[in-house]
Amino acid sequence: MSVTEQGLLERDKDTMTLNMGPQHPSTHGVFRVILEMDGEVVKTAEPEIGYLHTGIEKTCENKRYVHVIPITDRLDYLNPPGNNLAFCLSTEKLLDIEIPERAQALRVIMCELSRIASHLVWLGTHALDIGAMTVFLYCWREREMILDLNEEISGVRMMTSYIRVGGVAKDATRPWLDGIRDFIDYFPAKVDEYEKLLTKNPIWVDRTEGVGVFTREEAINWSLSGPALRASGVNWDIRKSKPYSGYDNYNFDVPVLKNGDIYDRYRVRVEEMRQSRIIIKQAMEKLPGGDFKTPDNKVSLPPRETLHTSMEALIHHFKLVSEGISVPKGETYVPIEGARGEVGFYIVSDGTNVPYRVKLRAPSFMAIPGMCKMMEGCYIADVVGIIGSIDIVMGEVDR
Amino acid sequence: MTSEEIVEKLKASFPDDIQDTALPQGDAVIFVAPDRLQKVAGFLKDDPSLKFDYLSDVCGVDYLNEEREPRFEAVYNLHSIDHQHSIRIRVGIEEDNPSVPTVSEFWKGALYPEQELFDMFGIHVEGHPKNERLIMPKEWAGYPLRKDYPLTTETVTFSYNRDFKSDLVKSKPPTR
Repeated sequence: MSVTEQGLLERDKDTMTLNMGPQHPSTHGVFRVILEMDGEVVKTAEPEIGYLHTGIEKTCENKRYVHVIPITDRLDYLNPPGNNLAFCLSTEKLLDIEIPERAQALRVIMCELSRIASHLVWLGTHALDIGAMTVFLYCWREREMILDLNEEISGVRMMTSYIRVGGVAKDATRPWLDGIRDFIDYFPAKVDEYEKLLTKNPIWVDRTEGVGVFTREEAINWSLSGPALRASGVNWDIRKSKPYSGYDNYNFDVPVLKNGDIYDRYRVRVEEMRQSRIIIKQAMEKLPGGDFKTPDNKVSLPPRETLHTSMEALIHHFKLVSEGISVPKGETYVPIEGARGEVGFYIVSDGTNVPYRVKLRAPSFMAIPGMCKMMEGCYIADVVGIIGSIDIVMGEVDR
Repeated sequence: MTSEEIVEKLKASFPDDIQDTALPQGDAVIFVAPDRLQKVAGFLKDDPSLKFDYLSDVCGVDYLNEEREPRFEAVYNLHSIDHQHSIRIRVGIEEDNPSVPTVSEFWKGALYPEQELFDMFGIHVEGHPKNERLIMPKEWAGYPLRKDYPLTTETVTFSYNRDFKSDLVKSKPPTR
């Protein structure tokens, strides 16, 4: 369709159609929005997605459960352990297996570290969009420490695939635990530093306060979730309401604010970083001993050394490597609290080792219509601020 | 409310409209026919003791390979923020002219996943403001997540993957 056919060059109307994206740097990926402008005010915003579609759900239907886990990393690429955990929890619910406490604590540490890393990327890029360059550089510095910790435990900096069905990939190592201890001592001063740069900065406050407002009812009705929902005064965190992976053993607060504007979303996320650090600290203090994966050999590989002496172990090893995990027939959905909101996999199993249907409930995907609703009536300069404050990741929008 | 209480309450309120109920792994699941969906959805949202005000997700499933009727299914995951309980509605959809009424009047968040339902499964959503492609290009033929839609690979000029290489050698010998 040509530009004239789409009406982009029509002159006999009062409004102007403005195309933003998919190559615009402030759309955080390949998100396109078509804005109908009246002067500087946005009349309507029409989202357009699909530029990053890679058919992940279709691919998952043709891979074994074990092979799906690295694919889930690529969905929300800023918070891979959250996706791994959501997929594993759904699968484990169908398998009906218990996860050892040590594995659960390691999962929590990994997820919270990655939540901090994800929020750091959000804070850096969001501030950069609005014009605060320094924060970006500081955030990247701290994120680098988390990526180094990821490399230490899983060998990969971003796409960790650390959480597996039945537990985690490998046990915690001494340098990793020491690195986390250093990080939790170092990090609080740095969060204060970001806040010093932004929270009372008059330019930041002018640009964000009262912009992109969503009331409590609107936010619920448009299916926003996570920090964006909590900034609108909804006290709903799945870690508290439906605890998974032993989150009920940790003592932490859920920040909830009322105004539902960009500024409140910013403050909720900054506070969440502090709370995540508190959770990691508690998990490190009472890190239980024991197995790091389930002893059920139908789900996780038996220890290497037993293969030479136990025929049972050899059979399990062979079956698991050649066939993979067979999941009983059924369907389930387990939501978790990812960095952006409610993440969950709806899995339908037909009793084989390949999932029949895998559907990701992606918080960014569900938030896009609401986000475009928010833009209506705003100035064009605020559009990038609104996109930044919802924190969309196109990997999980287009799948 | 616990899942059992929700299912019991709904069974008592809609003896004719709810086809079946189930409690797999403790989740409340109800089965509803497409023409009764809006009636049940309105009740679920407005009833003060249920108050399912949050729509988590809508997803489609194609049960072609399974011996069951009807072929398609739309699954609605609902949650109540005040009461912190959840329910799953499964709506079976016939293979000929598959269609389901929209629930976007109750939950605006359903707009996108319902459009995806049309895009990926070709299920027509009655009353939806936009029955058109969402993720796939507008001119795309076929519905990718149907089970009879083939999983294919794209031909590329160079790949380290052995299968790609052999195909390429057969069709077009590399020239230097």
